[in-house]
Amino acid sequence: MDTGHPALSAELPGGGWPQGSLTELLAAGPGAGELRLLQAALAKLPAQQPIVLLQPPHTPHIAAWRAWQPAPERLLWLRPTQANDALWAADQVLRSGCCAALLFWARSIRPESLRRLHVAAQGSDTLFFMVRPLSAASQSSPAPLRLTLKSAVGGVEVGIAKRRGPARDQPLHIALGISALPPLYPDVSDAPMDLRTPVAAEPRRAAHVLAH
Amino acid sequence: MLEHECAIALSPQAVDLGLQAGMRRNSMSALAPGVLMLERQPLRETDTRDGAALALLQYTPELAHADEDSLLLSVAASLRLFGGPRALCRRIRMTVAALGLNASLGMAPTATGAWLMARRGRRVMRMAPLVRHLTNMPCTWLPAARPHRDWFDGLGCRTLGAIRALPRAGLQRRCGKPLIKALDAAHGDVPELFEWIVAPASFSRRVELIARIDHAEAALFVARHLVEQLCGWLVAQQRAVSQITLVLEHERGRHAIPPTLVDIALAEPAWQPEHLVRLLRERLSRLELGAPIIQIGLDAPDSVAFAPPSDSLFPEPGGTPADRRRLVELLTARLGSDQVLQVAPRADWRPEVANHWAPIGDRPPSLPEAPIADRPFWLLDIPIALVVRDNRPLYRTPLRKVTGPERIETGWWDGRAVRDYFVYEDEHATRYWLYQDRHPGADIKWFLHGIFG
Repeated sequence: MDTGHPALSAELPGGGWPQGSLTELLAAGPGAGELRLLQAALAKLPAQQPIVLLQPPHTPHIAAWRAWQPAPERLLWLRPTQANDALWAADQVLRSGCCAALLFWARSIRPESLRRLHVAAQGSDTLFFMVRPLSAASQSSPAPLRLTLKSAVGGVEVGIAKRRGPARDQPLHIALGISALPPLYPDVSDAPMDLRTPVAAEPRRAAHVLAH
Repeated sequence: MLEHECAIALSPQAVDLGLQAGMRRNSMSALAPGVLMLERQPLRETDTRDGAALALLQYTPELAHADEDSLLLSVAASLRLFGGPRALCRRIRMTVAALGLNASLGMAPTATGAWLMARRGRRVMRMAPLVRHLTNMPCTWLPAARPHRDWFDGLGCRTLGAIRALPRAGLQRRCGKPLIKALDAAHGDVPELFEWIVAPASFSRRVELIARIDHAEAALFVARHLVEQLCGWLVAQQRAVSQITLVLEHERGRHAIPPTLVDIALAEPAWQPEHLVRLLRERLSRLELGAPIIQIGLDAPDSVAFAPPSDSLFPEPGGTPADRRRLVELLTARLGSDQVLQVAPRADWRPEVANHWAPIGDRPPSLPEAPIADRPFWLLDIPIALVVRDNRPLYRTPLRKVTGPERIETGWWDGRAVRDYFVYEDEHATRYWLYQDRHPGADIKWFLHGIFG
């Protein structure tokens, strides 16, 4: 599955996101650019199949998806109340194989649960990403691909914590279009507003004209 | 198992203790004091047999009761559908096992032949091997031959082949027509007629439990039997069920307790036992029982005509819409309908009102027209008030303005919002969506409302 970012695709084994496998994104926090990084890949997924957001940290904003390619109608937001239910839901989504992608935000997860999810992912073509905190990078994981994400000016800094093939220490800078859209309103600079309004010339002569 | 105070069936453990069939209750309790003796209940046996017949209706509409707790299935027309005799036998065996019963399966070109082969537990597909098997079979296996057992013994006829070799006219005079008829039927010389079982018009079955059940999950074991029967009935009627109700009857204490009803509504009519059992399992695992259960029933009040399967040439990649709906049903059953959400945006300028998610329903979501703008991916449920330092808002680190302002001023009818939205960036280049609350007459305050993913 092509990532949509040539620099990143070149570094990944297989030339893109692996399907039917667990991929871990270790993000420095919500807003590290994980979704903008995935957007290009999600846009290429077959239409009609739902994209599942499991246990996201905040409310997903529909307006943000409107501007994007995967239409918001395809989203399915699951917010289980218990950690067990979340794992169960992820397992079911993967086993059913009828969802295009599963994004799972897990705060803490045990290694054996990860392994089970990885096995479940292998049975389907679902694009499966787990977004975990950056602190999880030091823990071992069965995921064949683990990326660390940090937001950077004009894009995101992707570090490859684990991949099949040679290790890479240098983080990769992926430029992300911050806003591909024209702004809703033309960007008005504050400066002209602060200027003093020019005083209108007083119509002094008008009185004379009228008097005549 | 006792009938008229006499043992008629024994478990292997009981046989090890020295008990034998035909022993009386008193002598058995003298031999093995701890042995559990159950009275035979013909009514329950009939009920079990009917249940099995109902469940097996999913394999053929031509099903008949036969002697000695057996069922005859005419499967000639079903063989191709279920992938051949071996696969069909496997499925039948699984269905019977799911009902909690043991069965010995036989298969032959004739019904009486198959009935006899079931004793051997073998399958024969053609006439010639069947005749070979019949020739070697003990003659007492044929019920019609049993009354004349002593006479056959005297003649030295031990097998069916030997009986068949006897002169026909004499045999008919001595033993009557039924024996000749049964022999001919087994060999396929005369046609066999059966009264096929007709499925009832509606499905509602009850099972009385042997012991009380305190945990809802244990009820699944019995519910699974009922679901198997339901699915047999559905296939026989060519219907699919859109709603099922599991009725859990409670033990009557001092006060009668109304039965607990577990209603399962299906978005798409189903007839597969696995799917229904999965849904029941999720529901039962969350159910708290107020009192022990003594009886379990299953009703299917709502069924619709069965839709023929899609005849598209290539299977859709990633599952059919039906698979998707089944997944959603399953998720809803466990997580609750409030936790499985789809978009249901509202036409409003206030982001927190417009960004509405609703429990997933039958309808696909509809999106009202709205301008496309650069919006954050995450919206905070409760905006965070920010501290201002040096005229700049502060969130962990001082923030730097990227774009803005964009004024949103609306909602005078409920909860007026007067806000100027900005995009700010912190020192780690994470972008935030901030607003200035500009209610007239109040201080200007900064709030964090969204995070760009």
